[in-house]
Amino acid sequence: MIAAIRAMDVPIRAEAGLTRRFEAQRSIGASKGPKAKVDWADLIGRVASHRDREAFKRLFEHFAPRIKGLMQKAGCSPDEAEEIAQNTMFAVWRKAGLFDPATAGAAAWIFTIARNLRIDLLRRRARSDRLEAVSELPDAPDPAEPADAAISRVQDAARIEAAIKQLSAEQTMVVRLSFIEEKAHPEIAGLLGIPLGTVKSRIRLAMNRLRDILDEDT
Amino acid sequence: MTISHHPPEDLLADFAAGKLEEAHQLVVGVHVAGCARCTRFVRAIEQLAGAALEEVEPVPTAPDAFDRVMSRIENSPAASAAPPPASAADHDIPPALRNYRIGKRRRVAPGLSMRPIELSGSGKARAFLLRSAPGSRMLEHTHTGTELTLVLEGSFSHEGGRFGPGDFDYGDDEVEHRPIVGDEGPCLCLVAMTGNLRMNGLLGRLIGPFVRL
Repeated sequence: MIAAIRAMDVPIRAEAGLTRRFEAQRSIGASKGPKAKVDWADLIGRVASHRDREAFKRLFEHFAPRIKGLMQKAGCSPDEAEEIAQNTMFAVWRKAGLFDPATAGAAAWIFTIARNLRIDLLRRRARSDRLEAVSELPDAPDPAEPADAAISRVQDAARIEAAIKQLSAEQTMVVRLSFIEEKAHPEIAGLLGIPLGTVKSRIRLAMNRLRDILDEDT
Repeated sequence: MTISHHPPEDLLADFAAGKLEEAHQLVVGVHVAGCARCTRFVRAIEQLAGAALEEVEPVPTAPDAFDRVMSRIENSPAASAAPPPASAADHDIPPALRNYRIGKRRRVAPGLSMRPIELSGSGKARAFLLRSAPGSRMLEHTHTGTELTLVLEGSFSHEGGRFGPGDFDYGDDEVEHRPIVGDEGPCLCLVAMTGNLRMNGLLGRLIGPFVRL
């Protein structure tokens, strides 16, 4: 719902370097308290181009506690979540130059880094349980890796944003609870006060709808 | 390459969220990397995840977290683009697998060989490359667990249709398979499997113990 709309609230840079904004409707009650509109993508750009520590500090203060919060919600221990949050921000510094605001929102990009680091952490743990030495592990495959050329990536980004907007608030909520916060279906039923069968069918409908919208005009 | 069989949406969403176990993550990841349609779907879920990250209740990090990260940054050499360990001349192996250690080829049955992929051991499923000879008819089998199959080269067909390069096949214990490999050449698949194959029929029961899959 609100969440989906806010993801769009990042500047989309056309290839010529022009900046245009996808104007997202702001829902009433979207923010908890007054929050200055910060252009996170721009801050990442400053880290990339100028190794700007002030910009990095602002990114850190905003995202590190949220990464920790999301990882704990998804089942990590506080220590693991802390480690992932710190490693993610370290990676944000190092990989800032790879961020492409035309194809992903800043928060989505940072999420993918945190997600991959969590995968790495779980594998490292499994491997060190098994072996004495911790060997170098392959990077988790990066699903954000584009299958197509840059132009179609930008077109895709617009289509993806439009598709997310078309999900209902209820659909966005079950997708988030189920896949991102990794809650079991009965727990979601309890949280939302709806029958278990409704949770399952709502998730299925949301998935199908997203797929259908994304498939239009291909 | 026309891909006509895709992973189910909930599997893609789990993949985007990083929830899949290693072998499944690998197979779905190789499919997604070559499939524009599924890449879009995964990126949509990532956008939703980004929105969730923005909205989640923050949990304060350790008081010295920022300083620790800054000191790591100051003490680490500039990021170098380290070339991936080259497993030279392994034309068998798709780029997404180049970082993995892949075991020796082993014959499993006539016309059928496999190479195990070394995983961290964090999950229950195994991953391997499976090569079958053109025109071979695999034994009728069911699964005790789930099986994700991605075609890399060649093709096979079964009740669910024809599966060519890039196509993804999802089998669980409700599916009975008797795949036939296409005549055009050997079929190379990337497979993630939990449980074991269960061979059906007398022949299957006889040779089952020798087919170590």
